[in-house]
Amino acid sequence: MKKTECVAMLLAGGQGSRLGVLTKNVAKPAVPYGGKYRIIDSPLSNCINSGIETVGVLTQYQPLELNDYIGSGKTWDLDRQGGGVHILPPYQKSTGSDWYKGTANAIFQNIPFIERYNPEYVLVLSGDHIYKMDYSKMLEQHKKTEASCTIAVLNVTLEEARRFGIMNANPDGTIYEFEEKPAEPKSTLASMGIYIFNWQTLRKYLCEDDAKEGSSNDFGKDIIPTMLGAGEKMCVYRFDDYWKDVGTVESLWDANLDLLNPNIDLNLADPNWKIYSKTHSLPPQYIAAEARVENSLITDGCEIYGNVDFSILFENVTVEAGANVMYSLVMPGAKIEAGATVKYAIVAENAVIKSGAVVGESPENTVDLDEWGIAVIGDGLTVGQNATVGAKVMVTEDVKDGERK
Amino acid sequence: MRKNNVMGVVFTNLNENLLPELTQERSMASVPFGGRYRLIDFALSNLVNAGIGKVGVVTKENYQSLMDHIGSAKSWDLDRKNGGLHILPPYGRAGSYGMYKGKVDALKGIYNYLENSQEQYVVLYDCNSVLNIDIGAMVEQHISSAADMTIAYRNGPLPSDPNVIAMEFSDERVCRVTMPENGRINGNYGLGIIVIARSLLMSLVSDASAENKWHFARDVIMPNVDKLIIKGYRFDGFAANMDSAQTYVEVNMSLLSSDVRADLFNRSRPIYTKVKDAMPTRYGIASHVENSLIADGCVIEGSVKNCILFRGVKVGKGACIENCIIMQGSVIGNNADLKYVTIDKGASVGANRELCGAPSYYIFIKKGAEV
Repeated sequence: MKKTECVAMLLAGGQGSRLGVLTKNVAKPAVPYGGKYRIIDSPLSNCINSGIETVGVLTQYQPLELNDYIGSGKTWDLDRQGGGVHILPPYQKSTGSDWYKGTANAIFQNIPFIERYNPEYVLVLSGDHIYKMDYSKMLEQHKKTEASCTIAVLNVTLEEARRFGIMNANPDGTIYEFEEKPAEPKSTLASMGIYIFNWQTLRKYLCEDDAKEGSSNDFGKDIIPTMLGAGEKMCVYRFDDYWKDVGTVESLWDANLDLLNPNIDLNLADPNWKIYSKTHSLPPQYIAAEARVENSLITDGCEIYGNVDFSILFENVTVEAGANVMYSLVMPGAKIEAGATVKYAIVAENAVIKSGAVVGESPENTVDLDEWGIAVIGDGLTVGQNATVGAKVMVTEDVKDGERK
Repeated sequence: MRKNNVMGVVFTNLNENLLPELTQERSMASVPFGGRYRLIDFALSNLVNAGIGKVGVVTKENYQSLMDHIGSAKSWDLDRKNGGLHILPPYGRAGSYGMYKGKVDALKGIYNYLENSQEQYVVLYDCNSVLNIDIGAMVEQHISSAADMTIAYRNGPLPSDPNVIAMEFSDERVCRVTMPENGRINGNYGLGIIVIARSLLMSLVSDASAENKWHFARDVIMPNVDKLIIKGYRFDGFAANMDSAQTYVEVNMSLLSSDVRADLFNRSRPIYTKVKDAMPTRYGIASHVENSLIADGCVIEGSVKNCILFRGVKVGKGACIENCIIMQGSVIGNNADLKYVTIDKGASVGANRELCGAPSYYIFIKKGAEV
């Protein structure tokens, strides 16, 4: 069996609680994105395109949809002999069992999995971001610098730096200090949560960390600072392409609509770096004579009889005559009935917006912009006829006819 | 229908001479259809949806495009350990005398494949029609009616395909089979789908080929109308035989009707096809689309009316296309004006070009052409 040089460990267990009802029944990496993808397609596709064929996906929270989606990994060419994608939930051992207590603990509990491949390097990823990245280039730099740990960083503005884990690095790229959400940032290199470790080194620190009382078993809070303190050589790998967090309703909506922005070059079907996804066999979309579609992304199975502007419609969405969808995301199987209006909103899978209902509000029509935000309709819910759902409202149960929320 | 009791045999080279515009370099089975399909997708999907897990695909010539489309057959759930899809190219049998002369000859050519199979029944399937049919129900009727052969048929105007058979019934049994020269008369006509016991099929094929007879309808069905119990399985849904370029255009365009879509793309019996990993279709700022069927991966910046756009088609700014069928990856330049045109895969129409066919005479632009 060919030796595995690098195993990727994808942390996909988080709840993504800031996404509220969108992650009530599914883990964040399984949240739909871009009309036909799910968030996890980004790191999985990056792995295979980077030549990394062995990927562990660590699941914990509501994994069913994610497990079903990943399946044997064939979609991303990760259905392989001696490698491929593996779903890794917490499991019972002869010494007992534990949920994953933190990001580092999740990897710690899966040391046996990594040992099966005996790699030289381990790449730690999260399933929370949309980006295209060649990890093999990061690995090349890691090998060249002979670092124990390489951390991918994004150059952000000084203002934004206050929200991130910031790496303070020397001109040669070696990190001398790490500050979590600094009030006075000394640098603008924000950690992307993407790390490459020498496996034997990581293994050592994971075991030590697990034995430490009071550790939160987290990469950012525990492992990285400890390694830095112990004098390990740690380097930054600079990344300067598109990278978007999708951890909040606003950022998810924003990341999606970025696909409609002509100034942002994000081609998910670039033959040199394809983002793969698993879809159902559906017929092509139908745009009716009375429909008006502009500046939008629409995919298979949709039937459009109404108006769609600056929006992303996922598979099998129906927009009836006289309905309006603007600046919104409509996820698979949802139905917007005649005369309903959806604007600045996210309508989750299989939700139904009944005729005459109004969901969301434009920021131009809002007096107090602090009160404005993206409206969200949870999956499978119904918004009744002529009901109103205001800006920033998150609907977690059916809205009755005529109700105002 | 007991699982694994039925296998399929799909014929892929049929009547290419009726649709030469699209079959220069491909078999009928490979002819693109409906925005994202090829004709064989309907055959494979109908068989798989009935629970059939073993399908032999008989090829004769021009089958590279078909092989590329099928790949490992995973898209149709036919990448299996037990059964699965097998491409059966010609010259497969020692002692065969060259290119198949007809279906009987082809079946003789795959005799070993039939002999080595365990399935009790075979569904013979002609690829040149588009329909969504419950093969499972057809097989059930075949078994419960104790027929020797069951032929799927429809009642209506006969296709002008000279190989189509017309059937007359007496007491639910087929009593007469003809191949009428003049198409478009009304009657019961075969849909090219036949259920028959494998052992019976093998002996009929043996007998016919021993007498140097190679036409299935004329040499196997017709002479045996009295000796065998031949029944019909009536199908009333949407069905179309690709019997001419004009029919090809009309059938594609009929997908603009929601009733036809609901029938053909029945969600409980989906039509599967090869996955392409394209992005969703992008509608630009000045784009204008009306009454059209659009596949994924398109970028539309112009005006599209009454059209079928296959995957990855680009329509430039100011371009105006009406009543057109544009196949995979073709590019329509800025300000081009097209009416009643069918464009094959990977072609391009330059900026400002004007092409105008007529409703009864579409212009066909061939694969890879640059206009």
